Amino acid sequence: MRDPSLEQAEAALADVSDRLDVRRFEESSLPALPALRPVLPGLRRGQVVTVDGVGALALALMAGPSQAGSWCAVVGVPDLGVPAASGMGCDPERMLLIDEPGERWVDVVAALLGAVDVVLVCPPARAPSPVVRRLSALARTSGSCLVVAGAWEGAMARLRVESSLWTGVGQGHGHLRGRRVRVVAEGRGAGGRSRSAWLWLPGPDGSVRPADLVAVDGERTAAGAA
Amino acid sequence: MGLARALVLWCPDWPLIAIGVDPAQAAVVVASGRVVACSAAARAAGVRRGQRLRDAQRYCPDVAVHDDDPDGQARAFELVVAAMEEACPRVEVIRPGLAAVPVRGPARYYGGEGAVAATVRDAVLESGFTCAVGVADGTFAADLAARRAWDESCGDDGGQGVRVVPSASTAAFLAPHPVAVLEMPELTDVLVRLGVRTLGDLAALPGRDVLARFGADGEAAHRLAWGRQARAPATRAPGEDLGAEFEFDPPTAQSEPAVFAAKSLADRMHDNLAARGLACTRVEIEAVTADGRSRSRLWRHDGRLSGLAVAERVRWQLNAWRTSGELAAELTFLRLAPDQLVVDTGRQLTLWGRHEVDDAVARVADRLQVMLGHAAVTRPVPSGGRGPAAQVARVPWGDSTEPASQVQRPWPGRVPDPAPSVVHPEPEPVDLLDTTGVAVVVSGRSVVPEPPVRLVLGDGTELDVTGWTGPWPASERWWDARRGRRLARLQVLTDDGRAWLLLVEQGRWSAEAVYA
Repeated sequence: MRDPSLEQAEAALADVSDRLDVRRFEESSLPALPALRPVLPGLRRGQVVTVDGVGALALALMAGPSQAGSWCAVVGVPDLGVPAASGMGCDPERMLLIDEPGERWVDVVAALLGAVDVVLVCPPARAPSPVVRRLSALARTSGSCLVVAGAWEGAMARLRVESSLWTGVGQGHGHLRGRRVRVVAEGRGAGGRSRSAWLWLPGPDGSVRPADLVAVDGERTAAGAA
Repeated sequence: MGLARALVLWCPDWPLIAIGVDPAQAAVVVASGRVVACSAAARAAGVRRGQRLRDAQRYCPDVAVHDDDPDGQARAFELVVAAMEEACPRVEVIRPGLAAVPVRGPARYYGGEGAVAATVRDAVLESGFTCAVGVADGTFAADLAARRAWDESCGDDGGQGVRVVPSASTAAFLAPHPVAVLEMPELTDVLVRLGVRTLGDLAALPGRDVLARFGADGEAAHRLAWGRQARAPATRAPGEDLGAEFEFDPPTAQSEPAVFAAKSLADRMHDNLAARGLACTRVEIEAVTADGRSRSRLWRHDGRLSGLAVAERVRWQLNAWRTSGELAAELTFLRLAPDQLVVDTGRQLTLWGRHEVDDAVARVADRLQVMLGHAAVTRPVPSGGRGPAAQVARVPWGDSTEPASQVQRPWPGRVPDPAPSVVHPEPEPVDLLDTTGVAVVVSGRSVVPEPPVRLVLGDGTELDVTGWTGPWPASERWWDARRGRRLARLQVLTDDGRAWLLLVEQGRWSAEAVYA
């Protein structure tokens, strides 16, 4: 037997949320690549994630949703390596590139949020607070995920590459085969504490895979990845 | 049916004239890495249209490079058009640098086509622009006549910059021109391989066979080679309005809302035409401002422009009017009207791809293109090539996404996977030094005698080299003296954890990509 007042309260709440049209994106998230899940379970809709520069990590973040059928847009990154992105799983068919938005990058990002699921942006300089607030709010209401290469106040998760080691190249022989990196995630989106994982970013075939380096790095990494 | 006599005015090297470059100075205008126009001095040094900037700089190292600016060109051309309009009405802009006028009426007024041509030429020369004028049956032949007039006036025999081709000899005038002047590269490539090298050869073929073999494009080319109109004119019931108009309420002073409206107007006009199986040769752009003044201008369409391309022309036109002060007040009314209807022989704007595009994505991409320009929003298309930059072509949104060269073909000398995550659009110059502090050399036999130890970036940062491998030599297009390159690539690891893809060409090192 349920408490009638509870039912009443629930009905009132449902009524209010219907009228306000509060879309609850928090419940849905875009899938991250399986290898990235130890540090970032998924890209939550409406959240802002930062990475430490335009590189393999930014592409890997985009690859998960893109693989699952989402459109991605890249703003202000004229030197994006598209073959590397597709090697990680991004679908170039569902990619929009706005290489040189210039001063209008804020308007461009604002227009894209809501239309595409993931927007990767490299701001020309550190974004001023009003811009940060405006775009964060837009991301929240539109349900798109904003990935920023650089600093961003109030980002849900901050990802960075801490140590990286390329393999395959000697002194005048071999060729680059892959890179072992330690990816560290901080912020509320990562569960409030710092998490890290060793990854092949990229592996010999261009894809992202977990690197079995626990033994090499010792207990610290094992604890961090757990 | 005879074709209307047309006068075409051609301003040579317009993209350069528009930005005020002296023809005696070597200069080029470049769009996406390729030369779109070059000055006389640059041409004398071996620079040609369509060349890559790098090759052009090799022919002419001190060449001044300017970016392509269609808006500015259209704006500057408005001055020329205004000067022409002083002499005759109904000027039609084919593109910035090229304009046409129907010549029958003015010829009666001035007493002969030669007199009209001279009047128009003098009017434009007086406003300070060099030009050449051609008169012939139809704008295609008149355009060629104008170019011939220019060549003659540059020659020793001292032409007057005017060439009038009589109606009876238009076909004879066209005959010696190579088929490439049709500007249908796909068709003319095949024609040349079949031994049909000139317009005369093409005109000599039976029209029915050309249609059967090459379809509508072939038929259009055949008609042009005969000195006829490319497509048969269409008749329609009078009074039927196929145009589209938009009233701004409140009036707008900015061009952006107008361009956005123009995009939907153009789509509506195209729908109107398509529903009747028609295409238009020209489109008339009419704008009315709050002070009651009205302006209109004809632009060439030929059934080839997409809605966005029409909107782009509307923007050029509005900017031009604003710059010249003819459109001072706020805009209240915009109208697009098709002019001179022809039967649409069929052209699909997109074959594959667009239908699978999400509507929301398509809308936002169109909006961004209106905001930033057609080429600012692109989609990556895998393409063939050895360098990482050549493996992806960035195709403007809405254009056909067919790769320029084959992806699957083997590309010997290609650096193996994984691909670099940061690819510079243009390689950035760096220095790669060996133990003695001298630039590393890659010999003709692909040997690196002295290993690299230090990498100096463009901003002066010095990095120690911890590992290196290669070289991957590549000899691209060795059969083509103009576009051929010999180069070698090296993968280099530096002490900051990054890996680099370096390129050496003619002893100069540059960073093509970073594995970041």
